[in-house]
Amino acid sequence: MRKLFTVIILIVAISTPFFAFDVLPVIGDPDSAPNSHVSDHYIEHAVEECNSPNMVTAVIVDYRAFDTMFETTVMFLAGVSVVLLLAGRPKRRLISPSAVKKRGRTVRGKAVYETVNKDVMISLIEPLILIYAVYVLFHGEVSLGGGFQAGALIGMTYLLDVMVGKRQRPIFNLSKFRSAALAGVGPFIYALTGLISVFAGGMYLEYNRLPLPVHQAELHSIGITAVEIGVTIGVAGTIITIINALMERISFDDDND
Amino acid sequence: MILEAVLLLGLIGITLAIIFGTDLMVAVVIYCAFSFLTMFLYIVMGAPDVAFTEAVIGVISTVIFIILLRSIDRKIK
Amino acid sequence: MMITISTFLAEKGIYLLTFILLSLGVAGIVTCNNYMKKLICMNIMQVAVIFLFLCLGQKSKGTIPVAVEGLEKAADYINPLPHGLMLTAIVVSLGTTAVGLSLLLRIREKYGTIEEDDLLMRQELLSMEERQRRKQELQRIDT
Repeated sequence: MRKLFTVIILIVAISTPFFAFDVLPVIGDPDSAPNSHVSDHYIEHAVEECNSPNMVTAVIVDYRAFDTMFETTVMFLAGVSVVLLLAGRPKRRLISPSAVKKRGRTVRGKAVYETVNKDVMISLIEPLILIYAVYVLFHGEVSLGGGFQAGALIGMTYLLDVMVGKRQRPIFNLSKFRSAALAGVGPFIYALTGLISVFAGGMYLEYNRLPLPVHQAELHSIGITAVEIGVTIGVAGTIITIINALMERISFDDDND
Repeated sequence: MILEAVLLLGLIGITLAIIFGTDLMVAVVIYCAFSFLTMFLYIVMGAPDVAFTEAVIGVISTVIFIILLRSIDRKIK
Repeated sequence: MMITISTFLAEKGIYLLTFILLSLGVAGIVTCNNYMKKLICMNIMQVAVIFLFLCLGQKSKGTIPVAVEGLEKAADYINPLPHGLMLTAIVVSLGTTAVGLSLLLRIREKYGTIEEDDLLMRQELLSMEERQRRKQELQRIDT
């Protein structure tokens, strides 16, 4: 009976999109409905109004900055949810006994496998990835890049260091509660940039009214950069929180038991 | 046009391999290949920002799946 | 008839493959017994939806949405609005997958298994034991 119900629901759900071919626009048509109303204004006025040749960055951080603020908040909430779900003490201690607790942060034991590849190259590669992340963050306006990519790159560096690295402490030695707090600083910086323009007499997140003594075009650049720093900190903090919360409860065979 | 159709057929084949597989580690490794093919698809469609983001997030997502496989049985009945 | 089929495939043919991928993702979520496979199929479904949005913003003679000297009109660049929406969607899906995986870890610690059949059978056995216990208590109170 339950299987019959499942099959009926599957057939209904799967056959529904195949009736929508009349409504969908022709691929490649410059006059179709999604390409007509507002995107033309965004494409033609992105360089002169927002001072950024990258139109995707101009759309998500300048024209639709309010949406991106709530996306960053949702990332922070995901990090907090993971910490809340995994905050209790596990029944069996899954952390290896050779790891030592010092002032609330866990220090790992010595790794069993020591090779030249892992120990020398990781210490050389990690600073290069971090420099590339900062480059991607600050060049998000001129060429491809932006805040989300830079934050994910910083999170990837932390993941590489925790899984493979040689030192006993990882690069950012934080407990999961503190890294969740760090992830909260990101939406705070974003909202603060919006509030500053309200205090100076404009609307929320209106970069034209920031109270700085520079030209009109540079105000937009400064506003976009400040907002993207907030996005980067939010995304990087969330990824670090997720990795910290999951690694506390899982044991690896490399540790010296 | 043809390149997009070929990549989409590859993605459909990988999905069938994931659904009908019996080993979870194989499913996760194939998921990494899935992420790689979608990155190519996004580049061909003309969205390099989205492709860059998908490349980085795909790596992080796959490694988190592999971390979790340590505490779960790999074979399914 | 053949001309209409070939024009249909040239103009809207990609949508067919996208819908097949979406349907396979939904079927995978409903029929797979293992919770980890359900999470992987959720990500597969998300890729199909993102590809559909990127298809809606194509223009036949457009280049990538970075401004270049010499191309001024709006018909020369593809639509940047779906790209922006999908960028944030990919990053937020990472957060959703992480919450799903932490729920999976808690289920594994509490019940010892992540197959749906075993969990449902365990719940049925527990409820049968509960009913037998209540019947015995009622019989004991009656006598």
